[in-house]
Amino acid sequence: MALTGLDIFKQLPKTNCKDCGSPTCLAFAMAMANGKASLDMCPHATEAAKETLGAATAPPVRTVKVGVGEQEIVMGDETVLFRHDKTFYHPTALAIQISDTLSGAELDAKIAKVNALVMDRVGQKIAIDMVAITNCSGNAATFKAAVEAVAAKANFALMLVADAAGLEAAVPAVAAKKPLLHAATAENWEKVVELAKANNCPVVVKGNGLDDTAALVEKVAAQYKELVIDFGNQSQAKTLAEMVNARRLAIKKKFRPFGYPMLACTQATCAREEIVEATTYVAKYASIVCMKADEQALLLPLMAWRMNIYTDPQKPMAVDAKVYEIGDVTPDSPVYICTNFALTYFAVEGEVVGSKIPGYIVAVDTDGASVLTAWAAGKFVAEPIAEFVEKMGIMSKVNHKNIVIPGYVAIISGKLKEKSGLDVIVGPQEAAGIPAFAKANYPHLMK
Amino acid sequence: MIIIGERINGMFKDIGKAIREHDPKPLQEWAAKQKEGGAHYLDVNTGPNSEDQTVDLPWMINVLKECTDLPLAIDTTDYDAMEAALIAYGKPGALINSIGCEQEKIDRVFPMAAKYQADVVCLCINKVGIPKSAEDRVAMAMEFVANAEAYGLQPDNLFIDPIILPVNVAQEHAVEAMETIRQIKMISNPPPKTTVGLSNVSQKSPHRPLINRTFAVMAMAAGLDSAICDANDDELVDAIATARVILNKDIYCDSYAKVFRQR
Repeated sequence: MALTGLDIFKQLPKTNCKDCGSPTCLAFAMAMANGKASLDMCPHATEAAKETLGAATAPPVRTVKVGVGEQEIVMGDETVLFRHDKTFYHPTALAIQISDTLSGAELDAKIAKVNALVMDRVGQKIAIDMVAITNCSGNAATFKAAVEAVAAKANFALMLVADAAGLEAAVPAVAAKKPLLHAATAENWEKVVELAKANNCPVVVKGNGLDDTAALVEKVAAQYKELVIDFGNQSQAKTLAEMVNARRLAIKKKFRPFGYPMLACTQATCAREEIVEATTYVAKYASIVCMKADEQALLLPLMAWRMNIYTDPQKPMAVDAKVYEIGDVTPDSPVYICTNFALTYFAVEGEVVGSKIPGYIVAVDTDGASVLTAWAAGKFVAEPIAEFVEKMGIMSKVNHKNIVIPGYVAIISGKLKEKSGLDVIVGPQEAAGIPAFAKANYPHLMK
Repeated sequence: MIIIGERINGMFKDIGKAIREHDPKPLQEWAAKQKEGGAHYLDVNTGPNSEDQTVDLPWMINVLKECTDLPLAIDTTDYDAMEAALIAYGKPGALINSIGCEQEKIDRVFPMAAKYQADVVCLCINKVGIPKSAEDRVAMAMEFVANAEAYGLQPDNLFIDPIILPVNVAQEHAVEAMETIRQIKMISNPPPKTTVGLSNVSQKSPHRPLINRTFAVMAMAAGLDSAICDANDDELVDAIATARVILNKDIYCDSYAKVFRQR
C-alpha cells in the first residue's frame, strides 16, 4: 500500500496557506497520494515530516545480504503475506549449527558432512546455505579457532553465534566473508553493533517477543540498518505468531522496526520434530532457519518444501522436457506424446501407471503449457513434436514406429506422420481413457 | 459488494400505510423478500408522511429486529429519531444513513456512531450543494475521515457516498463520482467504504434497470463497496455477482450467482 492521503495529511503543517498551489493541506495531501505533487512543493514541511514520508516510500522489508560471491544469501525484500498474491522472492536460508566444542578431526568430519548436503531435485541444485558456529565452549579463543577452521573449509555463508567477547575475537579474522553476527541483545547491542559496523557485517537483533524486539530494533536502526530480527524463540507457537504479526505489520502498516528479514531457531530436541518445526518457519516468513539436524534424509524433504513454497505461482509448473520410462519398458512398449506442463504430464503418468502396461512418455517442451494451450500457440504441432521426438532418439529404443498423441489434437496426426515418418495413433481425449486404450491395443504387454 | 435493500420506505404506498396503522406485516414480508433477493442490509425509512419520526422509526426498527437477522440502515435526517432508533436497535452493527459534510452534523452524529458502534453513510454534499469535480468530492471525503479519527471511529466505519445524480440531466457527474470512488481508496489504510444511492442514476429515464446495473458494475470496477438499491431486481443482483467474480473478489464457481445471494 502506497502512502495514503491521511498519512500525508498528518505530517503537513495544516496552515492551508496555498503556497503549494493546492487550496488546502487536505487537497495537497490527496494530490501527493495520487502522485501528482511532491512534498518539496510545501515550503513549511518539517524535517521530521520529510523523514517520515521518505521512509514510508521505502520497500516494506529491507534487503539484507550475508556472505560474499557464490555463498551470498539475499534476504528480505518480500511484499506479500500469501504466495498466491504474487510470489515469495528469496528462499529461506537453512543454517546448520556447528559447536566450537568440536575440534580437529571431529570438526573436519562435521564440516565435510555439512558440505555434502547438496542435492539435485527436478534438475535444480538444492543445498544448505549457511553454517552457524556457536560458542558453546564459552571461551573466546576456542571460538575464534573454530570459526577460522570452519571458514577455511565450509562452502557456505557463516553465522557467528556468541556473546560480545566471542564475536570481538572471531569477527575480524573472517570479516571478508561478511558473516552474520548473532546477536545484538538489550545488554550488549552497543558493542556488537559497533563491531558489525566496523566490519561491514549484518547483525541479528535478538529481543524477547514483539514489543521488546521492536524497541531494541528502533534503538539499533538509528545507528545501523543491516539487520535481521530474532524474537527470542521461546516456543514454536509463539515464534510463529511473532513472525506472522511482524511481517503483517511491516507490509500492511509499514511498521519500520519490523521491516527486516527474520531468523528463527528450532526448539525441538528430536531431529524429526525439528524438521517439522522448520517447515512451519519456512512457510511463514523466516529468512533464516537455524537448526541442529544435519542428516541428509531429514533435510531433503525440508529443502523440497522450501523449493515448492518459493516457486512462482504465476509461472506454469513444468517438468523436464524429456522421455520418461514408466514401469519395466521393453522395445514393444507404447510411446505416448504429451506436453511438459506438470499437470498434463502427471495426469498422463498416473494413467499410464494405472494401465499396468509399461510405456514411454515423451514430455514435449511447450514452456509448461497444456495440450490445447500449446496447440493453440503453435508449440504442440507437427513440426516441433517431430523434431523433439527425433532429438530424444526415443524411436531407436523401440521396435515399432507408433506414437500415441492426445485425442484433442487429432487434427495434427496427418501432418505429424508426414513430418516424422512415424505411424501416429490418435489416443483418447482424456488421460483417464489411457488404461482402456492400452488394454485394447496392447493386451499382450499386460504385466 | 454490500446490497442495502431500499424497499422498506414510507414513500412506497404499502409501507406508508403499514406505518400509519402500525401493522408489522408488510415490513416483515419485505424484510424476508429482500433477504431472498440478495440484500445484506435493510434500509429503514419512515418516508415524508410520518407524523413523528421519533415514534415511527423506533417502531419500525423493533418490528424488523424481531423478524430478521440482517443489519438495519437507519435512514433519516432527524437526529433525535436517529438516536431513538439506535437505542431501539440496541446492538452494534447498525448503519446510520446519512450525514452531509458539515461540521455541526459530524459533531452530532459521529459521537452517536461511536457510542452505539454503528457505521455512517457520509454524503459528499454541503450547504453549498453538490460539488461537480472529483477533487472537491474527495476533499469532503477526507474531512469525514479526518473527523472519524478524532471521534475514535475507524476509516472503514464510514460509507462515503460521492452522490450520484440522474444521468439524463447531470450526465457529467457519474464519471466524476467514479473517479471519487477510486481516489477514496487512497485516503487511508484501511480505506473508507463507499456507497451510492443507485436508483438516483436513472431517475425519470427509460430503461431504469439497465442504467442502474450498468452503472453498478462500472462503479464496482472503480472500487464501490455497497449500494442502496432494489435487492429484488434479479438482473441487477446477477450483474453485481458477475462483477464480483470478474474483479476476483469471489472465487468462481458455475453457480456463483446463486452463491452470492446466499451470503
